[in-house]
Amino acid sequence: MKVILYKYINNRRTKQIIVNGVDLQDFFKNSQNNFVYIINYFIFAPKSIIITMEQNKEMTASESLALIAETMNNSRRVVLRNNAFHFVLWGALLTAFSLIIYFLWHTTGNAGWNLLWFAMPVIGYGLAALLDKKKDADPKNEISRLLGLSWAAFGFFSVVLSAIAIFLVPMNITLIIVLLLGLAECISGVILKNWPIAVAGIIMGIGGAVAAVLLKSEAQLLLFTLGGVLLAVTGLIIKLQYK
Amino acid sequence: MFPKLDPILHSELRLAVMSILAGVEDADFTFIKKQTGATSGNLSVQIDKLSAAGYITVEKGFKGKMPRTTCRITEAGQQAFSNYVDALKEYLSANK
Repeated sequence: MKVILYKYINNRRTKQIIVNGVDLQDFFKNSQNNFVYIINYFIFAPKSIIITMEQNKEMTASESLALIAETMNNSRRVVLRNNAFHFVLWGALLTAFSLIIYFLWHTTGNAGWNLLWFAMPVIGYGLAALLDKKKDADPKNEISRLLGLSWAAFGFFSVVLSAIAIFLVPMNITLIIVLLLGLAECISGVILKNWPIAVAGIIMGIGGAVAAVLLKSEAQLLLFTLGGVLLAVTGLIIKLQYK
Repeated sequence: MFPKLDPILHSELRLAVMSILAGVEDADFTFIKKQTGATSGNLSVQIDKLSAAGYITVEKGFKGKMPRTTCRITEAGQQAFSNYVDALKEYLSANK
C-alpha cells in the first residue's frame, strides 16, 4: 500500500494528482474545502481509493446530513447484528438440553432428569459472559436493551414457575414455558420490526400451548427442541437482516 | 438569517463520533475507531475536543486486564447535536 499526502489550499491543488496513471483530478474538482487529504492508494487494485476519516474537514450541509445518516445507520446495524449471537447461543442450548433430557427420560423412564433444566441458565449465562469477555465491548441501544429485558423476563418467569411447579404446585409447566417463549419471540419480532419473527412467535406460543396439552410426558420436550431451533433461526435472520 | 453551525460539530470526524454516540447508550473507543476508520491518535484528539466542549463524557477503566475507554453523549451534547441537525435542515430547505 502506498500512502500519498496531498494538500489543497483554497481549492487549488498544490501537487499533480496522477498516481500510477490514474488521474484523480475529477475526484477533487468540486472540493469546497481547504484541508489535507490522506489517500490510501492500493497499487494492486488501482480503482480502489479509500479516503480515511483523518481529515477534520468542513462539510456542506448535505454532506453533513449524509454523514450523520450513514454513521447512525451503520452503528445501529452493528449493534443489532451483535444480538444475533445471543439468540443462536440460547437456541443451541435449548435444543441440546431438550434432546438430552428427552433421551434420558425416554430411556430411564425417570422424569427427575427434568431437574437438569436448572443447569441451563447457569451454563448459558456463564458461556455468554465468557464469550462476551473475548469480544470487543458491544454498545447497546434502546432496541438491544428492550430485547435483553424481554428475554430476561422470560428467563425469570420460566425459572420461578418451574421451581413452583416442581416443588410446590404441580402444573403443566411445558404449556406455560412454551407460551412465554412464543410471547418473548413475538415481542422480539415487533421490536425488530421483523414480521416473520413475530408470526413465528405467535405460532410457537399458540400452537405450542395446544400441543403441550395434547402431548404427554417426555414427548412435550420436543416442543422445546422446536423452540430452540426457532431461536437459533431468529439469530440467523437478525444477522442477515443487519448484515 | 441562518443559524450559525456549531464549529465543534462541523468537522467530519467529530460529527461521526457524535452520530455514533447519539444512537447508543455508550461506546467503546475501539468500537468508535472501527466505525469511523480513524487512527487512534486523531480520534483521541477529537474525543478530547468533544469532551472539553462538554458534549461527551469519557470514562477510563478496565475490561479484564485490558484498558477500556468508554464515551457517552451528555445532555448538552444531545442538545447541540439536535440543534446542529435542525440548522442543517434550515440550510438545505433554504437552498431548495
